[in-house]
Amino acid sequence: MTAGISVIGLTKTYGDHTVLDDLHLTFAAGKIHGLLGANGTGKTTLMSLMSRHTFPTRGRVLLDDREFGEDPRQAQRLCFVRENQLYNDAFKVRDVLRIAPDFYPTWDAATTTRLVDRFRLPPATVVKKLSRGQRSALAIVLALGSRADFTFLDEPYLGLDPGARETFYEELIRSYGAQPRTIIMSTHLVDEAAPLLEEVVVLNQGRVALQAPLEEAEALALTLSGPTTSLDRWLQEHPDHPSLTRRTLGPTATVTTLGPLSDAESASASQAQLRVTSTSLQGLVAALGNSNHEVA
Amino acid sequence: MTHALRPLKLYLANRYFVLGVPFFIFAVVVVLSVAILAIIGTMQGFPLSEEVRESTRNNVGVLFSAPGFLVSVGVYAATRNFALALALGVTRRNFWAGTALGFVLTSAVTATTAVVGLGLEYLTNHWFIGVHVFDVHMFGNGDVTLLFVGLFVTAMACLAGGALFGTLFRAYGTVRTVMWGAAIGVAALALLALAATNEARVLAWQDAWGEWLSVSVVAAVAAAFLAGSYAAVRRATV
Repeated sequence: MTAGISVIGLTKTYGDHTVLDDLHLTFAAGKIHGLLGANGTGKTTLMSLMSRHTFPTRGRVLLDDREFGEDPRQAQRLCFVRENQLYNDAFKVRDVLRIAPDFYPTWDAATTTRLVDRFRLPPATVVKKLSRGQRSALAIVLALGSRADFTFLDEPYLGLDPGARETFYEELIRSYGAQPRTIIMSTHLVDEAAPLLEEVVVLNQGRVALQAPLEEAEALALTLSGPTTSLDRWLQEHPDHPSLTRRTLGPTATVTTLGPLSDAESASASQAQLRVTSTSLQGLVAALGNSNHEVA
Repeated sequence: MTHALRPLKLYLANRYFVLGVPFFIFAVVVVLSVAILAIIGTMQGFPLSEEVRESTRNNVGVLFSAPGFLVSVGVYAATRNFALALALGVTRRNFWAGTALGFVLTSAVTATTAVVGLGLEYLTNHWFIGVHVFDVHMFGNGDVTLLFVGLFVTAMACLAGGALFGTLFRAYGTVRTVMWGAAIGVAALALLALAATNEARVLAWQDAWGEWLSVSVVAAVAAAFLAGSYAAVRRATV
């Protein structure tokens, strides 16, 4: 198995605005990665930089430990059809589907045919006339059909109804099962997509707030609730478990914090009349997005 | 080469658009030219006078009908096709090479259509009523080579010009593209001023080269636009 994508000191600024700030990341090959975070945290920019659609202000991206620059054989290993992908106004769906197989030696015609059928994509329709959901479906067809070594999916479900989203998840697993490869998917429907993910990266304000395997990330998310004074005292005594978000209702409060708790910590929480519950990955992402905390 | 053929296929994804439209544009020019002469004939009577028929040798429709369309093809290729090419794993250099090949094809088809039109014009004795569309002064009154090369380089200049500005937009954004446009405009005006101050020399060249002087200038412009778009595409982003 190859090394994957290495992001080294990646920074992207637009004028005074820093979108990504000195990112260091590795996306291991052959896994499905979730790229998570609030709007405007730099997810699409990061994918654009990794696929060389745009250039970094500083830093480097390595594909299997190599700079790829203008090497066509390396570029051919990438597929990044954006959620707002531009198409020539003259192109019909069938025009795009006719030429796309020429771009990838790994093109999966059977998957393409099946997906076009399942998403009911109208071949004779001009792409610019497609609905939001149909454009997403076309992007999914291209991304999964390509079987590119490094496939980027940028909020691929936009405009898709729940049934079509189920189709997408099912086909993603099927395609990945047939040929494991590196898939990096940004999504806001975190809990819905979580069963597909093996690793998650959470971005917050252009920095990495968390990178961990899915199980570890899910174990990190906890809520503590109970009397406000007890909760505050417990948090003071356990600085390893910072309050990421907090809600106060009368004399009680609830905080989202980072787990897991040791047996001793669980016992002390219980003694302080605090209730410990796990929260969803979506809750953790939202909490990290509302704080400036970075998980080492 | 194989890698450059992929963006060429992308350029040709809708063949009617990039290869068929010039045929229809020229067909419309013929129909309009015939219609105008028919109206004159209705008023003055048929057959048309020699003077009227000869005056249509100044018809410039074939030169000025297609550039708007061709510039838009160049712009679309450099913006929309560029975005899709990158999405599908094409390098900037290969995108440029494949698209430039596409421009050559469109230009060749445009010029060939005009030559075929010239043949039809002769076969029909100038579209049955004596109107000149392709057999005109600016293309040497039936000089097939001049017609083909003249329209080929004109089409290339239009396509490459559209691509240059589309690529500048992708590389530098709107404001700097406008500044580039202004700079290119000023440079063109400076060259015209230089030509005006050297009128005698330019006229001497004109005498020596005839219409081929204009063709050479347009070819140089097309080459400059292509070189500019190649330089800019390396910085273009999506």
